[in-house]
Amino acid sequence: MKLTLNWLKEFVELKDSPQKLVEALTMAGLEVESLAPLRSPDGRGEDWLIDVAVTPNRGDCLGILGLAREVAALRGGRLRLPATKLLPADSKAPPVKVEIRSPRCCRRYSASIVESIQIGPSPAWMKSRLEACGIRSINNVVDVTNYVMLETGQPLHAFDLDRLAAKRIVVRQAKGSKKFVTLDGVERDLAPEDLLICDGDAPVALAGIMGGRDSEVRAETRAVLIESAQFDPATIRRTAKRLGLHSEASHRFERGVDPEGTIYALERASSLLAEVAGGRPLNVIDRYPRPLKPSAILLRHQRLADLIGIEFKGAEVEKNLRALGCKVRRRGTIGFNVVPPTYRSDLSREADLIEELARLRGYEKIPFTLPRARLGGAKPDARLRWERAIRAYLAGEGLTETIHLPFASAEMNARFSGTADGRKPVPVLNPLVQESAELRLSLIPGLIESLKINLAQRVKGFSAFALGKVFFLDPSPRERHHLAALLHGGRERIGLRAPETPFTFLDAKGLVEGILERVGAAGRSTWTDSGVPPFLHPGQAGRVELDGAGLGYVGAIHPDLSEALSLPRFFLFEVDFDGLVQYASHEIAIRSLPRFPSVERDLAVVVDESFPAQQIINWIKNLRHSLIEGVEVFDQYRGAPIPEGKKSLAYAISYRAENRTLTDSEVHALHQDLVSRISELFGARLRG
Amino acid sequence: MNESLDNLREEVVGRIDRSASEADVEQLRIEILGRSGTLTALLRGLKDVPAEERPGRGQQLNQLRSHIEERIAARLQALKAEKRAQALSDERVDVTLPGSRRERGHIHPLTLVMDEIIDAFLTMGFEIARGPEIEDDYHNFEALNIPKDHPARDMQDTFFVAKDRLLRTHTSPVQIRVMESRKPPLQIIAPGTVYRRDELDVTHSPAFLQVEGFMVDRGISFSDLKGVLTHVLRRIFSEDTAVRFRPSFFPFTEPSAEVDIGCFNCGGKGVLPGSQPCRVCKGTGWLEILGSGMIDPQVFRFVGYDPEKFSGFAFGMGVERIAMLKFGIEDMRLFFQNDVRFLRQFPTF
Repeated sequence: MKLTLNWLKEFVELKDSPQKLVEALTMAGLEVESLAPLRSPDGRGEDWLIDVAVTPNRGDCLGILGLAREVAALRGGRLRLPATKLLPADSKAPPVKVEIRSPRCCRRYSASIVESIQIGPSPAWMKSRLEACGIRSINNVVDVTNYVMLETGQPLHAFDLDRLAAKRIVVRQAKGSKKFVTLDGVERDLAPEDLLICDGDAPVALAGIMGGRDSEVRAETRAVLIESAQFDPATIRRTAKRLGLHSEASHRFERGVDPEGTIYALERASSLLAEVAGGRPLNVIDRYPRPLKPSAILLRHQRLADLIGIEFKGAEVEKNLRALGCKVRRRGTIGFNVVPPTYRSDLSREADLIEELARLRGYEKIPFTLPRARLGGAKPDARLRWERAIRAYLAGEGLTETIHLPFASAEMNARFSGTADGRKPVPVLNPLVQESAELRLSLIPGLIESLKINLAQRVKGFSAFALGKVFFLDPSPRERHHLAALLHGGRERIGLRAPETPFTFLDAKGLVEGILERVGAAGRSTWTDSGVPPFLHPGQAGRVELDGAGLGYVGAIHPDLSEALSLPRFFLFEVDFDGLVQYASHEIAIRSLPRFPSVERDLAVVVDESFPAQQIINWIKNLRHSLIEGVEVFDQYRGAPIPEGKKSLAYAISYRAENRTLTDSEVHALHQDLVSRISELFGARLRG
Repeated sequence: MNESLDNLREEVVGRIDRSASEADVEQLRIEILGRSGTLTALLRGLKDVPAEERPGRGQQLNQLRSHIEERIAARLQALKAEKRAQALSDERVDVTLPGSRRERGHIHPLTLVMDEIIDAFLTMGFEIARGPEIEDDYHNFEALNIPKDHPARDMQDTFFVAKDRLLRTHTSPVQIRVMESRKPPLQIIAPGTVYRRDELDVTHSPAFLQVEGFMVDRGISFSDLKGVLTHVLRRIFSEDTAVRFRPSFFPFTEPSAEVDIGCFNCGGKGVLPGSQPCRVCKGTGWLEILGSGMIDPQVFRFVGYDPEKFSGFAFGMGVERIAMLKFGIEDMRLFFQNDVRFLRQFPTF
């Protein structure tokens, strides 16, 4: 809401400097967004343009009168209304009849008729004020309606009286009427519940939003009917929203207009029309079937003190509420009965009055207190702890955290479906752009976007992770936290340059193993290369399961895909973080240290290329031999002298007895037995 | 006889002291003291010495052997020290060369700020609650006292994903969900992503992080709201941060307060030295940092609390905005581009 300081001063006594006024308004909840000096062309001296951000509850402050009331209440200045010509309560039958057929949507409809109008430009003072406040000057009649709207907050509309053929204003819902041409020349589709102003049967205005082209004031207009009404906020808002038609009038009606203010606005407009358009005001026609009677609100001293945290004196309460226009009556020792003014539709409950009293006291005068502590209330947050642990782990491993907007294009969602195949994406019904028409199924598209941005900066490598939500239909929308990473290039070192070791599949897998270990779930995980997602290199991809349930995947991007996306090769992993946290445990089981030494023996076998190394480990573990303490694979070798199509795998097996030192011959016999059984079972050839 | 021993001593000691290496010394030791060494032979020859001369001769020879052994030990010690000194000098490094380490990853600035905010509340005894990002109209609007066809909805332009399913426009629905399932006392924060239908630009993003918080108990007052939020803001920014509360409007709080902190760019003056208006606070001296208020009794009714028994406050703050202010970042888009030249400026974990 824009206004000028001089204009405001016509409504209220004000001694403050503009800066002081701005401060007072801002600290009372009417935030002043800007204050700028204004040079007035009419030589009325200096003026200031003030832009107030009016919150949606304060429809009354969408007019200078409302702001003047606030200033009077805050700074104590006297309110003064510009004089108006009293309109004749003509005994003659009015030339226009008014009928409200939808009283639920229109509480009051007042109108006045002004004859002998001379259409022409407005005087310079009116033009300059309108334009300073962001309203284009049209002609003296339209300008007066806008001028009075800015003053009173009451939207007015002028109809060309001669073009209201039926001379019968009917306020009704559209029902059968389907189309209507507004004064901007656009044909609007009507919905049955839209509220119309009709001349007889013919619609002449979209009530509270915009007038019609066919009854608009023109150069040859001689007489006008000025409408000053109160419409139901929700009705106006629904229609304005649906049609995307936001006007100064609809903005005010949506926020509530004072039904008791329609007549003053008409009087003010008639006076101005007489002044600037030579008009002769006639009758006022007024339909107000159910006058607004705000009910009394009980305001309790105790409640006020409890909610704000300080005591208020009865005299202060009375004085401040009266300054706001409320009627206040003491009610014993309990408090007050308060009847708010009709222009403050936002004051309907005790809490509303309490806010007003806190506001007028000044929030800065309310002390700071800390609520009494309750011990033992808060539980430690396990998820937060895991999120931080995993972030720290990955950052320690050289991966940088990235954050992406959770949208994705249909194309990227079709390519990267997350940790389960065939998930259906959640569409955004009203996306900003096609590239973000869906919610992401996977964190990978975001990581790829960041890879691209960084490659454009010619980075050597890029290793990053992301922790965030993904969304899918199942069949109703569901959301899960995922954790994903992308590795491109090699792990960088700080210091003197050393030959770079490029990332491999095992680097990516190692990160996932590290995470599983960190959350204490490594022992429940299994790896497989079956059913890997199609966007991965089929020979360099694996899936990980926890207790048999899919957790995620690791792999190299499929070369077809990196080519299609014009990207270099990279590795990635993605796991269901919610699934991970579910298994996470902080429990630490400590074993006492062994008393007798262990003996380690190696085993090297030559097997087919496709032989999974884990198979021998699983077999040995399944023996559950009491003297075999552990087994691990420590080398894989291909090339001469190993024949083509074969590879050599080396395992280290450690033997230990709990209660004695094993003898060499004992270990030898055990190991020989193991070696021969393995070579037999797996068709492995021993390697010397 | 004595003369020949003296000569031998002189010769051997001379050779010991001239030995250039431990091996040379060892060689010499064998030559003199070894099984067939010169001195060993002399000692062995004692048995042929007449009995009356034997003790004197024996003593002389033993003295000579001790002397040689001492000299050998001393020489070895000296040689070792020389060698160590040489090694120490050879192994000298250039301490001005860069240290060598593996590059560590960096934590995103939004996470850093989010963690600071969370910790400020956790140390005050708040706990964390979470809720869905895909919400229904009831939890995102209705139960927060934002009815359909109310202009307050204009404050938050909404993304829809299905009929009556939307992307939450604030973290406030978590307030409703927690209160629906638990009874006071409650002191909760709800961090998370929220969505508004705004194009990504210098100051807006269609998705951003918010921290919602609320406290409900008997006898919670507006002055408590002021106390808790002032404390937390000073934790997040600095202990001497100026904090200002001014009236505002949120449909789910009454009274409502916008909270500002003193601009740290201009020290709250609104102007910089040279009377240039401050760009960060647009000359006001204050920075809008969060919205807050006493929970509206209507909201309590929606969740089945008796507003006569319980009162509480709620607040919400935008993490991006706080991060931009804290780090002096002028473009919101930097957070989502993940350019490592930007991210590297933030610490590793």
